[in-house]
Amino acid sequence: MTRAPVRVFVAAALVVGGLLPPLAAQELTLPNLTDSVKFAAMGDNGTGDRPEYDTANQMAAWHDRFPFDFVIMLGDNMYGSQKPADFVQKFERPYRPLLETGVRFYASLGNHDNPGNNAYKPFNMNGQRYYTYAKKNVRFFVLDSNYLDPEQVGWITTGLRDASEPWKIVYFHHPLYSDGGRHGSTVDLRVRLEPIFVKYGVNVVYSGHDHIYERLKPQKGILYFVSGAGGELRKGDIEPSAQMAAGFDQDRSFMLNEIAGDELHFQVISRTGQTVDRGTMRREHGE
Amino acid sequence: MTRALRFVADHYLLAPIGAIVAIGWANTFGASYFRVADMLAFAVNDVGMAFVLGFIAQEVVEAALPGGTLHPWRRAALPVIGAVGGVLGAVATYDAYIFSGDSRNLLQGWPVVSAVDIAFCYFTGAAIFGRGARLTFLLLLAIASDAIGLVLIACRYPVPDARAAAALLIVPAIWSAAQLRRIRRQSMWAQLVVSGTLSWFALYWSGVHPALALLPIVPWLPHSARHLDTMGDPDRVRHVSPSHFEHVFRYPVQCLLFLFGLVNAGVLLKGFGDGTWGALTASLVGRPAGILLTVGMGVAAGFQLPRGVYQRDVVVIALATAPAFTFGVFFATAVLPVGPLLTELKIGAMATAAGALLVCGTARLLRVGRFARTGIGRH
Repeated sequence: MTRAPVRVFVAAALVVGGLLPPLAAQELTLPNLTDSVKFAAMGDNGTGDRPEYDTANQMAAWHDRFPFDFVIMLGDNMYGSQKPADFVQKFERPYRPLLETGVRFYASLGNHDNPGNNAYKPFNMNGQRYYTYAKKNVRFFVLDSNYLDPEQVGWITTGLRDASEPWKIVYFHHPLYSDGGRHGSTVDLRVRLEPIFVKYGVNVVYSGHDHIYERLKPQKGILYFVSGAGGELRKGDIEPSAQMAAGFDQDRSFMLNEIAGDELHFQVISRTGQTVDRGTMRREHGE
Repeated sequence: MTRALRFVADHYLLAPIGAIVAIGWANTFGASYFRVADMLAFAVNDVGMAFVLGFIAQEVVEAALPGGTLHPWRRAALPVIGAVGGVLGAVATYDAYIFSGDSRNLLQGWPVVSAVDIAFCYFTGAAIFGRGARLTFLLLLAIASDAIGLVLIACRYPVPDARAAAALLIVPAIWSAAQLRRIRRQSMWAQLVVSGTLSWFALYWSGVHPALALLPIVPWLPHSARHLDTMGDPDRVRHVSPSHFEHVFRYPVQCLLFLFGLVNAGVLLKGFGDGTWGALTASLVGRPAGILLTVGMGVAAGFQLPRGVYQRDVVVIALATAPAFTFGVFFATAVLPVGPLLTELKIGAMATAAGALLVCGTARLLRVGRFARTGIGRH
């Protein structure tokens, strides 16, 4: 039996990053409810250099206050050499405090990742280039945006159509929308993926690739984030356009996210622990 | 106006013009460009390109007839050896470049660097050497490289649920082409419609790139011997028949090449990356080095350079194979699905056009062809 897809509209009205009252920079603004879905997001982290370690330490420090269960990795999880020792230096050592507390990492592949890294157990990809998993009322779809073969397009179409969870989140490496000066929007992927996302009610899309943080104004009802400064940084790279809602390109950063009921709350933290963006969006239902 | 159009067509400029339009469009109104390109891609790449490759195949078949450039086959031996070396050199350089970085996903793009743009070679070569043995040698190298490349990409056509048994359709395709030739000696239309269609479906359903569909049919089309170095102007040769494939399709093929450039060359210029530099290095360095090495080995093994082709000419000829342009973009499209990796390789393929400057500079430096001064630097 086929189920008629529930059309979901995302309201932009509550995305209020710039409108909230001022707060102490290191204050947690997320609701931190017991039964919510809590996760962090980071991209372009795997350098093995000092800034990656600093950012990872900051994540661990925030985890004490906001115990997120998992981290979504937005690609380029590993730069340069990718031998077993590099997995230690560029992943296991910096994120050890999180790994030891049981935080799971769900990776997507970036252009610098060896395709075979999908077999690395802590990335939880189970040897697949693209895959899906659910956490309570949220279904995550992870794509390999390096190349969008027809099989993958068919898979995401079917997966989104059949998903029963009210929240649908997709993440992959190359951003469909970005004001990053080096790469910018991947328009050729956008014309293929966006109609599917819109048709089947995707709520939020996370990407990396541009080494900045950016929140876009909702596009066709979908909220887009670029979070590609988990280890790499392209300082001053944002070329703001009318589609940008908020951005940060002065230091490394990562995102904390919480989905509680019909609301997504997010807070973006810099390497030094400063809050550089925050907000809430509401998911609305429709027929 | 007519003269200008004729000049554009005669110099195969419609493909680069299509490419320039596409790049401008993609980088200004990207969403509309990619929607249109997506809509036309199948018709142009998988159907239209069959006529372009058939057109080139017709040139080769006619050149292989008694009296043609490639007859007897031994005349083509050294360029073919050089082409093999060029492909090996290009692929080895590309792989080495990619292995030295961290973008291993790009390794699957290695067949792309076997591509050589025949039209680019022709006009660069003609500008330097004029017509003659050196230009023919260069064209043979280019055609042989692309033939190797077509074999490499043929079976990488991404069709879901490919059925190997469908390849058997190629038997009635060839049989009907042979029978139709016997019945209607001077008309090619029945062969193109009946045999060509059968062949196209045979390849498509069996997972082989359908742009190769006319290659098994072309040998049965009406033809007569010719020299490859007349490809830019078939009216120069006496054998031309108004019913021949290369005559009838000369301008339609140009239009297809324009559409090909328009549909495939529109890349976001910010999309360059390791694949771009890898493809560029392979074409500008790897291929010429491979050609020089294997041609040198061939000569050492007893094969002779054609009369009128000297060692320093070979250096310039090897460099003149650098531009991959249209064929590079075609190969890239055949090997990789849509995405940033494809974009990187397409930009690399188009950037190899810069090889034309390199070859002109080298020819000037070595005083080869039109740059030779009387009494100085003569062979």
